[in-house]
Amino acid sequence: MTYGLFMGCLVPNRYPGIEWATEYLLNKKQLNVPTERIDDFTCCPVPGIFYSADKDTWLALAARNLVLAQENEKEILTICNGCYMSLHKAAEKLQDPKQRSKTNKVLKGVGKRYVGEEIPTDGRIKQYRPIQIKHLVEILIHDVGPEKLEEKVVHPLTDLRVAVHYGCHYLRPSENHQIENPNRPRYIDDIVKACGAKTVDYDEKLSCCGAGGGVRSHVKELADALTEDKIKSITKARADVIVTGCPFCLLQFDTAQSSLPGVNIPAIHLSSFVALALGADPLFLGFDLHNISVNPLLRKLRRGAIA
Amino acid sequence: MTGETEQTFIGASRTTVVEEKVILDEEYDPGFAAEIVKYGGRDVKTCHQCGNCTGVCPYSLKTKYKTRNIIKMCQLGLKSLVLHTPWLCATCYRCYEHCHEDINAAEVMIALRHIAIREGNIPDFIVRVSKNVVKYGQSISPSREVEVLREQLELGPLPYARPKHAKNNTEIQHIIRATNYDELIHISARPEEDE
Ligand code: SF4
Ligand code: SF4
Repeated sequence: MTYGLFMGCLVPNRYPGIEWATEYLLNKKQLNVPTERIDDFTCCPVPGIFYSADKDTWLALAARNLVLAQENEKEILTICNGCYMSLHKAAEKLQDPKQRSKTNKVLKGVGKRYVGEEIPTDGRIKQYRPIQIKHLVEILIHDVGPEKLEEKVVHPLTDLRVAVHYGCHYLRPSENHQIENPNRPRYIDDIVKACGAKTVDYDEKLSCCGAGGGVRSHVKELADALTEDKIKSITKARADVIVTGCPFCLLQFDTAQSSLPGVNIPAIHLSSFVALALGADPLFLGFDLHNISVNPLLRKLRRGAIA
Repeated sequence: MTGETEQTFIGASRTTVVEEKVILDEEYDPGFAAEIVKYGGRDVKTCHQCGNCTGVCPYSLKTKYKTRNIIKMCQLGLKSLVLHTPWLCATCYRCYEHCHEDINAAEVMIALRHIAIREGNIPDFIVRVSKNVVKYGQSISPSREVEVLREQLELGPLPYARPKHAKNNTEIQHIIRATNYDELIHISARPEEDE
């Protein structure tokens, strides 16, 4: 299966280095995960806005993206927890015939119709399943696997202490999607370890970054107060870096810390982290756009490489 | 958290208010629970107020926003008092994972947001981000600094600068008009030359 790459809004517009890193690591020469860009994808749409304000609009906009995957016969690969939840939930909702026909009426005006992915059957009646939505973490664990990833590592990130942040919508709600046990997740930890680094335990590892659900846009002060707690535990665990599979959580860690005194732990996306281990030149990872400098981390890696 | 923010955004869900509340006739809306169901929430009347949701909610632990109290106010039909609170929910779904009545407080908050918007309580960020989607097909507006870096990394143009942007955006705008979302939050979803 070739995946349709769903970059979302935040990565291309704020952290383009993550886009570069994702393409780099899925590339033939690296992990060889067949992907293709679908240029017509638009906003997933962002759940904190559209799912909050009007579910019908949310579903129709999401369905438009799903139809693009359907037309191109692709599964969708996302690198953001928000896109993942929004598209996944939409694909499930569209299994309900009533919802589907209501949404298809809207889509008819733009010449589209959602049916899902056709599955092979013996009979003459066609059968469909929801368009499959995959998070990058699932691809790295199930399609690639930690062992193969470890073999491909040319620059093991030994000595790095990593605080993994899963992010809410990777884990919950488990009624819609369940990538892994929401109370004991380990996939990102496994990937980080395959890259040669150590992961640290810290309090509140499974809790929210603070930004979700529109809180960051609505009352930033409140979102930052939550981030502060998390950052304090991470600091206590003496982590060098926060690694997350969600660019929105990344944005929150990266920006909230500027207004919090005495803390500055860089946060990077899982794609950038794995790309570093696979030998990518840090210059291509766009770290200059981060608020919290990633340089201490790079210096530590360089010292390790020289020693 | 300053007292003022707390008062503005949380106010009515504080424990003291809920516990000592005398319900006035004009505050009571008997159809509130049904309205929540209409917008996709579950029946709040089946909540037995165990408080698990508050106990795991990051905002309840940190502030005077209390998930259980908000559900209680919904049970009591105190609509006017809770419509400004659901915007503080991070939709982290922890409350859902820990509720044995399957209330899914997060989805109740989403339903409350739907109701609030229909009562004219539309937060600025909803309008701002929706306008971005209408204009760029994306929730975030482009930045020159990022575009320069994209050129250096040979990542190609941002979606709004791609050849098929006009067609895609016509589709987005059509959908937004078809569901009356433009009227709901008072924005224009027509191609710019029409404005
Ligand atoms: S956990 Fe469920 S039953 Fe308990 S108070 Fe919260 S919503 Fe009500
Ligand atoms: S989803 Fe909202 S109410 Fe529920 S625990 Fe998270 S922040 Fe609290």
